[in-house]
Amino acid sequence: MGLRMAVFAAVGMGALMGPCGGLNPVTVSDGLDVAGRMTSAAVKAREACKKLDVEPAVTEEYALGGALAIHWVQRGGGLVKDDALHRYVNIVGKNLAAQSQRPTLEWTFGVLDDDTQFNAISAPGGYVFVTKRLLRELDNEGQLAGVLAHEIAHVTMKHAIHQYNATKVKTCVGVMVGEALLPPGAAAALSAGRDGDGTLDLDNNPGLLGNLAEGTIGIFDDGNAPDQEFEADQAAVQLMLSAGYDPDDFRRLIAKTTEDTTFVDHPKKTERVKKLVTFLKTLKPREGEFAGLTTEGLHSPPLKPELIAAVKGVPRSTATATKGAE
Amino acid sequence: MAMRARVATAAAVLALGLPGLALAVKVGESLYVKAKNTRVMVSPSSTANAVTVLQPGQQVKWEGADPANKQWHRVTAPDGKKGFVFQTNLSTTAPDLELVADENGKKSKVNATKFAGSAAAVKALSPGAKKYGEDKGGGYEAAVKDIEALETLARKLKPKDLADHVAQAGLFPVVGPQETAGRTPKKGGP
Repeated sequence: MGLRMAVFAAVGMGALMGPCGGLNPVTVSDGLDVAGRMTSAAVKAREACKKLDVEPAVTEEYALGGALAIHWVQRGGGLVKDDALHRYVNIVGKNLAAQSQRPTLEWTFGVLDDDTQFNAISAPGGYVFVTKRLLRELDNEGQLAGVLAHEIAHVTMKHAIHQYNATKVKTCVGVMVGEALLPPGAAAALSAGRDGDGTLDLDNNPGLLGNLAEGTIGIFDDGNAPDQEFEADQAAVQLMLSAGYDPDDFRRLIAKTTEDTTFVDHPKKTERVKKLVTFLKTLKPREGEFAGLTTEGLHSPPLKPELIAAVKGVPRSTATATKGAE
Repeated sequence: MAMRARVATAAAVLALGLPGLALAVKVGESLYVKAKNTRVMVSPSSTANAVTVLQPGQQVKWEGADPANKQWHRVTAPDGKKGFVFQTNLSTTAPDLELVADENGKKSKVNATKFAGSAAAVKALSPGAKKYGEDKGGGYEAAVKDIEALETLARKLKPKDLADHVAQAGLFPVVGPQETAGRTPKKGGP
């Protein structure tokens, strides 16, 4: 959730909450009494439910990521029906991802058919989406790479997994203190995870998957914490350098966006740029040691005609690559 | 932006507190392979022949940068073969381990190479996610179909497609076109 400039309005939010099992973890009180004190039952529940705060296995991550991806695509009005565009975006994204901290994950990159929101968003398991509107604003492939690299970083750093774990624990506490009900199968699956090694079999419990995915989205919609955004920015420029893109293209893309005031936690773009530049100035390569990155031979390749044709309204036969900022 | 300013920004980025720069590694010590299909070349060029191809998480002995082509580094591969690897294929830190459950539900962390050979590496919209989306109906059901079609398209793209694009765009030759050593197609690059 890096560069989004406005929410998907309130589209779909009404439908996201509640219909799958009667629990919205966002509204669970954490077992506090009317004076805001934690009851003894809540203290016990919290202790027991901490076991759910563990790293999920890849299959659990795929299930969560798939459910979130379905939401992002539904909210974004579906995917653009253009195979050539999707091939290009996947080639750029997969090349970056193959150099990331999770190089063997099967990554999938999609373009949301959203002409109004400037947004990019990711989901666990290697799903990354950008809106058609965002693509229209790009000047070169380096900027596309920067956006994709930022979202890849959110996935490799498992930021959404942290939100998912918080949702798991909160849901568990809510059920244990009797504030929330889950369907019997979902409650049993959650209990099995709590009493086992903390991981959940979501594929065999779509009801639980729905509840936890929608709870995660509730946290997600406030935006990532500022520190997570800064981390993803730094990892993005590292990934761009690794692949041979000029990272300044990403800085310029952030700088040219308008400020987003919708998200509670999302940092201001001016702060992101300032933080990045300040950080860069403090660091120096060390003599005699291996340096994993290089500044020589960086490029700002032009966008491919298939992208220009798809998002800028230029017929493919006449679309020519934009000039990169070389 | 002027080239000088851009290079200055990029140079500053190099010193980021990034995972790949966290540890100091000197000549004679080990480095990790970072990228898929990392080629160890006969000579310091992306169009040379590969003596071997390595995968993320494998370690090589670092013998230093080539004096004439500083972006290419001399290494000794795990099988003892010597050659040249492009700079950004290597890292001082290992890629992340993936947590995989076996058929008995026992979980363990596996390296990137082992993960690539496991069933968990083949991702498609999971059965639970698919059922969840279909049960919600409406736009969610359509989203399931969109994602499945997208995943089919994405899976058809191979490392060679990435390598061809990289060569055409003038980017770094990091992800090799194939998983085994062989003659490299003449496509240019650093």
